[in-house]
Amino acid sequence: MSNHNKTDHHKDDELHITSYSEHFGTWVSLILLTFMTVFISVYGADLNTLTVATALFIASVKALVVAYYFMHLKYDPRIYRVMLLVVMALFVVFLIMLIFDYLTR
Amino acid sequence: MTESEISQPNYLQVKKGLFSWIFTLDHKRIGLLYLYSVGAFFLVGVALGVLMRLELLNPGRDIIEAQTYNQVFTLHGVIMIFLFIIPSIPAVFGNFFLPIMLGTDDVAFPKLNLMSWWLYVVGALFALSTLVFGDGPADTGWTFYAPYSVKTGTNVSLSVLAAFILGFSSILTGLNFIVTIHRLRAPGMGFNDMPLFSWALYATSWIQLLATPIIGITLLMIVAERILGIGLFDPSIGGDPILYQHLFWIYSHPAVYIMALPAMGIVSEIIPTFAQRTIFGYKAIAYSSMAIAFVGYFVWGHHMFTSGMSGPAAYIFSILTFFVAIPTSIKVFNWLATLYKGSINIQVPLLFAVGFIFNFLIGGLTGLVNGALAADVHLHDTYFVVGHFHYVMFGGTGFAFFGALHYWYPKMWGKMYNRTVANLAFAILFIGFNMLYFPMFILGIMGMPRRYYDYLPEFHTFNQISTYGSWILVTGLLLMVYNLIKGYFSKPVSEPNPWNGITLEWQTKSPPPLHNFDKAPELVKGGPYNYPNAING
Repeated sequence: MSNHNKTDHHKDDELHITSYSEHFGTWVSLILLTFMTVFISVYGADLNTLTVATALFIASVKALVVAYYFMHLKYDPRIYRVMLLVVMALFVVFLIMLIFDYLTR
Repeated sequence: MTESEISQPNYLQVKKGLFSWIFTLDHKRIGLLYLYSVGAFFLVGVALGVLMRLELLNPGRDIIEAQTYNQVFTLHGVIMIFLFIIPSIPAVFGNFFLPIMLGTDDVAFPKLNLMSWWLYVVGALFALSTLVFGDGPADTGWTFYAPYSVKTGTNVSLSVLAAFILGFSSILTGLNFIVTIHRLRAPGMGFNDMPLFSWALYATSWIQLLATPIIGITLLMIVAERILGIGLFDPSIGGDPILYQHLFWIYSHPAVYIMALPAMGIVSEIIPTFAQRTIFGYKAIAYSSMAIAFVGYFVWGHHMFTSGMSGPAAYIFSILTFFVAIPTSIKVFNWLATLYKGSINIQVPLLFAVGFIFNFLIGGLTGLVNGALAADVHLHDTYFVVGHFHYVMFGGTGFAFFGALHYWYPKMWGKMYNRTVANLAFAILFIGFNMLYFPMFILGIMGMPRRYYDYLPEFHTFNQISTYGSWILVTGLLLMVYNLIKGYFSKPVSEPNPWNGITLEWQTKSPPPLHNFDKAPELVKGGPYNYPNAING
């Protein structure tokens, strides 16, 4: 029985063939961001508490790149991007509330 | 008979043999695999609970040593939380009924669904293996609080690995349900045409998907701390035990809603069916599930008021805790308004649903007492908390689970239990439950701490009442299980829809065919609970 809901599907159920240059560019950006993370953790000790925040920021950018390009989020309807944003906002709120406790002890 | 009306064998007749079950991809059979698994572990958890109550019948040592008692309450908690309550309603009834209620033939990822069950089995084996290896099961409580969990010689690593694996099972189930709800609804079924059980599962699935990874990582940090001595949580090597509590409760408080929301979904199905009228405030109930899931993420700190968390953080968590009560009470008022002027047919599923409301109200309101900062200082880690928790989890989710079992029993097996015996079992269970757990509120207010195998003489009377209650409760449970098993061996029922339900699962045969429907189901005009003869005044 193929009674899927037509209104809520992947934009048009088409195959999205992305170019080699896009894949390659994504891969290179991930490698560069990884190097940046390692560099900051090894040599960026003078960032103090910002070291963690910077590492988290870079990791978030990497996750976004993977989701958008490798996982084809950019082809999906806007609702899925909104879902991802809500989830990331939730994570940020967790961190803020956690850090708030530490700063006010 | 047209092409779209091909009569299929029911899902129980399609194939026979053990392998046809343990490697099935049919969501209904996977639901039953979960039912038998969680049912077995529930009975083990009950046995451990009764053992604790026997020990507490009198002050001092009665039948087990203090260390054994610590291990028993830990195992009881791990089994009841991770092996029974969390998977219970979503994995059993969600798996079985979500696709049928949405008018489709299976979940979005059937193989992933089977994998979830196998992960559950592997996680359960890890939990049970703690019984035979090393110094026995963990003695930390199901919360595995650091730094004790880092230092104890008991099998903490195996226990937390079990919870880690079970967490993956939970995540995969949640993911499957979210995709199923988004992509496989019947043509014409919008989100606001879904039955409320589907809404409850949707909210639950988001919590499973987003919160469970946090406990997974946290539990691995415990193992890393034990093996490598990293210094994450142990203050003697620079760690912070309060960080563990934060990380643990960031998952484990939302997990309470993984346990409670599906139960609320069940009640939202049972009440309109037995009132034979449209549910009052469909959207309010549906959206309040999402609101509970959302607000529930931000209240974890109320477990830590006395732990050394900062004062300002405690104020914020206390205020946020009170906000959760709002969507919960919206549901309760809507259920009661649905019953008002309804054509009420008092059958055992409705009794369990009403029992849920009664118990959950007591559990919920005592939760507000714990959420108030000043009161919590007195009540924290006393039996008041044990009473509150069991009223919410057993009196709430447990009763809803039993209600669902009685409600959908004729649909799942095409058989019927003895209704008189079921009513009697409910009555015994309800009395036993309240006799077992209500005295704990009084003991808590009197100051009896939790998690001790001994107590002062002034606590004796209420502990005795509580233990006698446990015997009554077990009598009711055994009678209920006996009645359900006996019903399974009875003759098939001729009536596929004994409750006159109108959601889609009642449009198909009992038991349902392999692909759920012989012909495409028709959505009820005016919403899933638009009963034709209802007096909606």
